[in-house]
Amino acid sequence: MTTDKNLTGGGLLFNVLEQHGVEHVFGYPGGAIMPIYDALYDSNVEHFLCRHEQGAAFSAVGYARASGKVGVCLATSGPGATNLITGLADALADSIPIVAITGQVATASMGSDAFQEIDIFGLSLACTKHSFQVTDINDLAQVLHEAFAIALEGRQGPVLVDIPKDIQLAQVNGCLDDLVNLENKVKLPPANVGSAIALLNQAKQPILYVGGGVGMANAIDELRSFAEITGVPSVSTLKGLGAVNPGDENYLGMLGMHGTKAANLAVQECDLLIAVGARFDDRVTGKLNEFAPHAKVIHFDIDTAEINKRRVADAAILGDLKVNLPALAIPLSIGPWQEKCQGMKTDFGWDYNHPGETIFAPAVLKEISDNMPKNTCVTTDVGQHQMWAAQHMLFDDPSNFLTSGGMGTMGFGVPAAVGAQVSRPTDCVIAVSGDGSFMMNVQELSTIKRFQLPVKIVLIDNAKLGMVRQWQDLFFNGRLSETDLADNPDFIMLANAFDIKAKLITNKSEVSAAIEEMLEHDGPYLLQVKIDAQDNVWPLVPPNTANDKMMEST
Amino acid sequence: MNNYQLMIKADDKQVVLERILQVARYRGFLISGINARVNTGTSIGTIELLVRSERPIELLVDQINKLIDIKEVTVDNSASQQCNA
Repeated sequence: MTTDKNLTGGGLLFNVLEQHGVEHVFGYPGGAIMPIYDALYDSNVEHFLCRHEQGAAFSAVGYARASGKVGVCLATSGPGATNLITGLADALADSIPIVAITGQVATASMGSDAFQEIDIFGLSLACTKHSFQVTDINDLAQVLHEAFAIALEGRQGPVLVDIPKDIQLAQVNGCLDDLVNLENKVKLPPANVGSAIALLNQAKQPILYVGGGVGMANAIDELRSFAEITGVPSVSTLKGLGAVNPGDENYLGMLGMHGTKAANLAVQECDLLIAVGARFDDRVTGKLNEFAPHAKVIHFDIDTAEINKRRVADAAILGDLKVNLPALAIPLSIGPWQEKCQGMKTDFGWDYNHPGETIFAPAVLKEISDNMPKNTCVTTDVGQHQMWAAQHMLFDDPSNFLTSGGMGTMGFGVPAAVGAQVSRPTDCVIAVSGDGSFMMNVQELSTIKRFQLPVKIVLIDNAKLGMVRQWQDLFFNGRLSETDLADNPDFIMLANAFDIKAKLITNKSEVSAAIEEMLEHDGPYLLQVKIDAQDNVWPLVPPNTANDKMMEST
Repeated sequence: MNNYQLMIKADDKQVVLERILQVARYRGFLISGINARVNTGTSIGTIELLVRSERPIELLVDQINKLIDIKEVTVDNSASQQCNA
């Protein structure tokens, strides 16, 4: 921390970051943020130079999700700022607390179409929880405090602070204000506990529908205790994976479009759906008016706007899950329903038999999951490999599975792994990617090289945009359109160019040894896994279809 | 299509009006009219927003309420009924 009483705005920025416990930031310099990068010299904050601002934003997201801290990213004005937008949108969709700092042209030039000027403040409205533009140096510290408080209060999310160059250069008193502590911005109505208890007592076939809000609320212990005391069978959303103990006999896995058959059938048959930090996303519900058609709904959430948004709640329990879940944890007599759910779980378990010698991605991911060290953090990109990872890998905490849920952003996996590895340097970090997604932020291999981050990359390679290809085959009469990636680069040479050890496997017989070699390697490693281009993700609930009408093969 | 009149009180902060308009559009509400003024003594802005949509007004009220600078959102039921008459 710079101790001079008189600081520049840039110096004050880093002092406030340090005051909030920020140790690491991700960014890329440029003209309109040079005073901040100059002040970086005198701060104790460690900067990780990414090779694209989108990579910096995703690294901040990965850092936040893996650590539970606020992620911070920096970018210059104009294209630097616009390159952050996809990362901000991703953080908004998945409720991730990050603070993005952008440089802006000097206030006297703003609105003149100056070089590298863009109205990032205006652009931020649709992709942030809140945003600021600092036009008076005396407001800077307070704005930064508010940015951190807003990112963390209530339903978490991204905040952008746009700082013109003259504000970064301006002299300011270096005395630091006290931290701002915002409570939930929206005043919540009392929880409808009495109605919820009555619904629980009446239920014969309840299901616990667990979303990403559980991990965000740090309520994993309370959720598991609720599941144990009530005995209610549970299902998870993509972002909720890891919240329920994966060894719980009443846990049925992921629900929704690529959910397990047991999870989807149980939800369709249930008479009470207990949604916890979940938002009835369209990928979860399938055809909304046929989702859990016989169920009453208890909805736990911190966000008032999620109640009744897509499904009417019979009892809304708004507020902190750590408080509200224990209040409803009562023993229930639902033995026959538990037995039925456990039976479906057994009857509809995964089948890893795969004819021929070509590698079966689900089996590879299961083997990695079975052998990876405890507390490994897995990131994914978006597509078939993402769904296979969600289906076939087991996680004991949501902070160990980082995937772009709401936004579904290809290019997320590698930079998110960079952020996760920076935040948890002693844990194993594995990025599961696909050959399409991998190329979207491939430049971040340079960040891995620069900081010698021991990230492992499992590249599931079918030389296709596999999920789009699958949909073209199933729903567009096999008219394949722009999904062939046969001209991919040589991924082994590519990794080697970044001093990353790499190996290609094409046959089932090579899988076990390759996984062992990857996991035992001290540094970064890329394992390219060639799979059959015709392999599909099953089950699949077709669009606008009820979840019990899933496809299980072609 | 139902018509609604919202009364919104907000801190007089940067782009608060843009935020409200963006949320209304994105959430599926067409803006039929707007009247906005600021009490310079209290720095509180008052916005009367006339919107129409097939969607329940609660969806918009809850989303506007989440905006950081918003102090209060109410639906003027009498005005809304007159608009629908």
